[in-house]
Amino acid sequence: MHSKRTAPLEPATSEQGCGGFLQMRMHRREAMRVGFCSALGLSMSDLFRIQAQAALDPASFKEGKARSVIHLHLPGAMAQQESWDPKPEAPSEYRGAFGVAKTVQGDIFSENFARLAKVSDKINVVRSVVGKIPDHSQATYHLFTGYTPTTVIDYPQMGSVVSHLLGQRGELPPYIAIPSLNGFSGGTGYLSSSVGAFQLNADPGAAGEFKVRDMTIPTDVVPAQLERRNHARQIIEGQMRKLDADTDKLDTMDGFYRSAFSLLTSEGARRAFELGEESEATRDLYGRGYKLKQNAPAAVGERLLLARRLVESGVRFVTVNYGSWDSHVDIKGTCNEMMPALDHAIAGLVTDLDQRGLLDSTLVMVTTEFGRTPKVNSSNGRDHWARVYSMLLAGGGLTRGQIYGASDATSSEPARDAVPLEDFLSTVYHQLGIDSTVRLPAFGGTRPIDIVKGGKPVKGLIA
Amino acid sequence: MEEEVKIAKVQRIEGVRGRRLGFLTFWVMLVLAVINFAPTVCPAAALVNGATPEKTDRETPSFRRDVMPVFFRAGCNQGGCHGAARGKDGFMLSLFGYDAPGDYFRLTQEFVGRRVNIAAPEQSLVLLKATGTVPHTGGEVFTVNSPHYQTLLSWIRAGAKDDSASVPEPISIALEPKSIVFDGERKPVSTKVIAKYSDGSERDVTTLALFSSNNPAAAKVDESGAVTPKGRGDTSVFARFNRFTIGAEVIVLPEGKEFVWPNPVPQNAIDQAVYRRLEQLRILPSVACDDATFVRRIFLDLTGSLPTRSEAEGFLADPAPEKRSKLIDQLLSSQGFTDMWTNLWAEWVRIKGGGYAPSATDVKAADAYYEWIREQIASNRPWNEFVADQITASGSNLTHGPSNLFTMLVHDVKVTPKSLASDFSQLFTGVRIQCAECHNHPFDRWTMNDYYGWVSFFTGIRRKQGVEPREFYVFNDLAAPVARHLVDDRPMPATVLGGEHPVPTGGDPRKALADWLTAGENPLFARNFVNRFWAQLMGRGIVEPVDDMRVSNPPTNGPLLDALAKRFVESGFNLRALLKDILESNTYQASAASNPSNAEDTRQFSRAQLRRLRAEVLLDAIVKATDGERGFSYFPKGTSAVQQYPRSPGDTTRLTAGDSFFETFGRTARQSVCACDTKTESTLSQTLHLVAGDTVLNQIRAGRVLERGLGQKVAPEALLEDLFLRTLSRKPTAVENTQLAAIVSSAEGKPELVYQDIFWSLLNSSEFIFNH
Repeated sequence: MHSKRTAPLEPATSEQGCGGFLQMRMHRREAMRVGFCSALGLSMSDLFRIQAQAALDPASFKEGKARSVIHLHLPGAMAQQESWDPKPEAPSEYRGAFGVAKTVQGDIFSENFARLAKVSDKINVVRSVVGKIPDHSQATYHLFTGYTPTTVIDYPQMGSVVSHLLGQRGELPPYIAIPSLNGFSGGTGYLSSSVGAFQLNADPGAAGEFKVRDMTIPTDVVPAQLERRNHARQIIEGQMRKLDADTDKLDTMDGFYRSAFSLLTSEGARRAFELGEESEATRDLYGRGYKLKQNAPAAVGERLLLARRLVESGVRFVTVNYGSWDSHVDIKGTCNEMMPALDHAIAGLVTDLDQRGLLDSTLVMVTTEFGRTPKVNSSNGRDHWARVYSMLLAGGGLTRGQIYGASDATSSEPARDAVPLEDFLSTVYHQLGIDSTVRLPAFGGTRPIDIVKGGKPVKGLIA
Repeated sequence: MEEEVKIAKVQRIEGVRGRRLGFLTFWVMLVLAVINFAPTVCPAAALVNGATPEKTDRETPSFRRDVMPVFFRAGCNQGGCHGAARGKDGFMLSLFGYDAPGDYFRLTQEFVGRRVNIAAPEQSLVLLKATGTVPHTGGEVFTVNSPHYQTLLSWIRAGAKDDSASVPEPISIALEPKSIVFDGERKPVSTKVIAKYSDGSERDVTTLALFSSNNPAAAKVDESGAVTPKGRGDTSVFARFNRFTIGAEVIVLPEGKEFVWPNPVPQNAIDQAVYRRLEQLRILPSVACDDATFVRRIFLDLTGSLPTRSEAEGFLADPAPEKRSKLIDQLLSSQGFTDMWTNLWAEWVRIKGGGYAPSATDVKAADAYYEWIREQIASNRPWNEFVADQITASGSNLTHGPSNLFTMLVHDVKVTPKSLASDFSQLFTGVRIQCAECHNHPFDRWTMNDYYGWVSFFTGIRRKQGVEPREFYVFNDLAAPVARHLVDDRPMPATVLGGEHPVPTGGDPRKALADWLTAGENPLFARNFVNRFWAQLMGRGIVEPVDDMRVSNPPTNGPLLDALAKRFVESGFNLRALLKDILESNTYQASAASNPSNAEDTRQFSRAQLRRLRAEVLLDAIVKATDGERGFSYFPKGTSAVQQYPRSPGDTTRLTAGDSFFETFGRTARQSVCACDTKTESTLSQTLHLVAGDTVLNQIRAGRVLERGLGQKVAPEALLEDLFLRTLSRKPTAVENTQLAAIVSSAEGKPELVYQDIFWSLLNSSEFIFNH
């Protein structure tokens, strides 16, 4: 269906799931998948129907300019002053310890982002993001779901909403977290747990061999056995199906078994995780060898490089975590420790995507749950500040080279073009072709809930 | 006015430090953040037509009685507006009005003559802002003609005086009617909020209260308190006034559907309470589950373990009509029961054993605690005594098990009274008291007085080095100073939650704490624990989450919770007696199969829910079904997952659950007392692990069930039956037999492989992974 693919890897099977084998050279693994589909008792028309439902429910949409999202989250709240909104003319207690780097357009970033400043014509920085709650757990949930937490309704993460609406493309799960999800970020909320992030629980940047756990079939299990196992499993599932109870839970389990078999049997899926297939030059582009405290690898470059490979293989939404930014004490030290690798990796990702012609179809967002206080505190740190802070948006059909909005002289309040977090998220949804005012049917369809309540896409950011 | 705004801004940026309340640390913000609804822009509180003026019975409005409620109702002092920790746009009010003197100061003294201008009352900034006459981030909050405006104006005209000390305080509020049922008629029903004051007076405060609904899809409530039905279902609507929240139950019945209640015969008081509710909601309960489902379900719930093949077969073959009761009794007195319920308690109190001596959580201490718990559960120690022993425990962590409540809840070198205070309340009462550290709990009855009085129970908890490095003596230093109130720094002697007076001084205040907590009259204790037990057996609490009991999170069936609590108290806090009641009920024994009226029900216990097995239970089930063996680091061979707890040779602070299987399947790492740390959702990683990971295949191989069966030349049907009974506690159906036999007969290669695949499929089936 989506014929335009730029991936250097073997093309992802197709939107039709198993049906896509027809378009491919058949070899043993694929042949097995065919068997697997029939073992599930699903005919091709069933598969098309399921795909169609996934795509049309609840709102019919056209795919947007962005086909995938790479979401880099910086947990703990990175300071806007030390990153993309420096205040060199403010009194020293506001200004902080760092100098500035000039961007391509003549604006300034903190000197901590000198590399990114050189590719600033490819990205946008939003300097007027407005959050609600300066508390890590609540604000992280707000960022990932669009809602502040309540006890009655649990809202789904953006990645889960995207998975729910856009479905799987290719052989990999639509939503992947590298290396894992932030503990505060919520989950699938009122949506089925089938749209949860696939957490690798393995770090491509960590020392030693990178291997996603349980992603290879034991060597002594032969392919015919896999097919037989599924067949037998389907026979046994019949009894539970007879109960006609909690069918969504059973559907979810079946979906996981389908995904698991697809992952295990596909050469393309396996190769998507092979960073070794990248050239030395590409790996250098993302930065290598940066160390954090206790000599641990910074790993952000490898995580973003893997994210790019996953997006190429059809993954819709990749969430990457990096660092621990809660710098109440010695913010200078925090920045010096973690920012060089970050600067290198983001600049590398944007450059790489652009070179491959993927930047227009891949939206990159770099977020943090809130900003930090205008004044440096008595411990040389900065505390929590949700009234204004900066985040980065690039690609995916957005403008390029823009500094959007501004904070006031001390980075205390937005000075112009304030972007409430809801608007920020709606903009990303918009680029994916999703109208965030659409309501998703929650609780068995009894309760429609806005994807993001009250959010409007920021027109000025859309190319 | 423009200038005023600027001044205000600069002042705020310069920092609040040094001013009254300026010392609020970022903790304030943390806790403030707990408030759920903090919109970016204050909503303009539209006034109800025909609202009666607040002031009718006196000439001059009182600041506390009349003026502060206006700020509350108009939303001025909520978290997103001036009630934020640092205020908003330079002006701060205490969140929901917890600090009247502070608010008075900021209104009248901080900028004399600006916010409140006695010389020209109409020019008071507070009025100009609230009416939107000058630019206001929150927009127009009320109009010049509104009673709210008039209240403020009259107060300012009269000199904007502070109250003398003797203003009557609200002591309770009531919402009328207490329950609303919409049956057919879809017209709004209005509600009324009456406040009772300390001088005995009553007042209709409907126009000053804030309203909300828990489930607007069922019914909405507007600012005037009018409740409008929206769709089938039930909800609670809440009114808040001053520091009180009160709810009324609302039921919206389906329109035009014929409904005949079939009058099922209740087994006991539990069924009565459940049925009453179901009849009201027009939901039919499911029929009873079959014996095979029952035996598997109850083994998993009570013992965390599958029935063996012979246990399942024995039960299925038993012709006695009372066999379910018999099995209940047998399991309640089993070793497996003690293991499982010890495991649950150990999880709640965060037992982890390490090797880092200074944090007092050595493996030896953990074992001492674990063994002590086992003994109590095994001997069916009355639950009140069981808990009281731990709360009041003093002595060596290595030899006196229960004293480890004060090491395991901490996992640190330092004991923090505030964290003990919040853990104690969450664990033993289900109340999250933390909100009240910085302001009165906005959605519950708890005040800052409650909080600091509660913290004072723990300010003296100390641990003294014992004779060896691992040993610490827990004791309560009675000379330790009590906690001080955040707002006015006054000492707050130890007081129980909701208590009017401090507990008597002299002895260890923990004794008074335990006496109050575990008293039969204290609803907090019994309701908390019966709800937790219920959740273990039914998959969901009557209050959910189980550790967030508050007025604004009411039980889905209040009478049911009360009946269980009553039963627990009357039985002398007898755990097994209470569980037996639940297990004997039709409600527990219902099938998961749905009928048209209850397919969507997940909260009213009209049918059994499919519940993914807890991580440790699932692992044990796989091991047991395969006759396999699975070891755990730092534990002797033969330890089951249910018996295991996190152990390491190092520090216990960040110790994980101790096995990658547990991490994948969501066993808690015991980092907090939050019930949310135990996860039972399904994920793709779990499926991948069961499909390709080392657990299932290794266990099938280790147990050698197939080799033995094939070696003894067991007939194919008998082998299949064996595998089914081991895993699903039932025999295969005729269809399953035929279809699986076909797979066996058509298989090429070693017969062992095809049976291995069938065994694998059984262990990967939903019927195995879920309790049903």
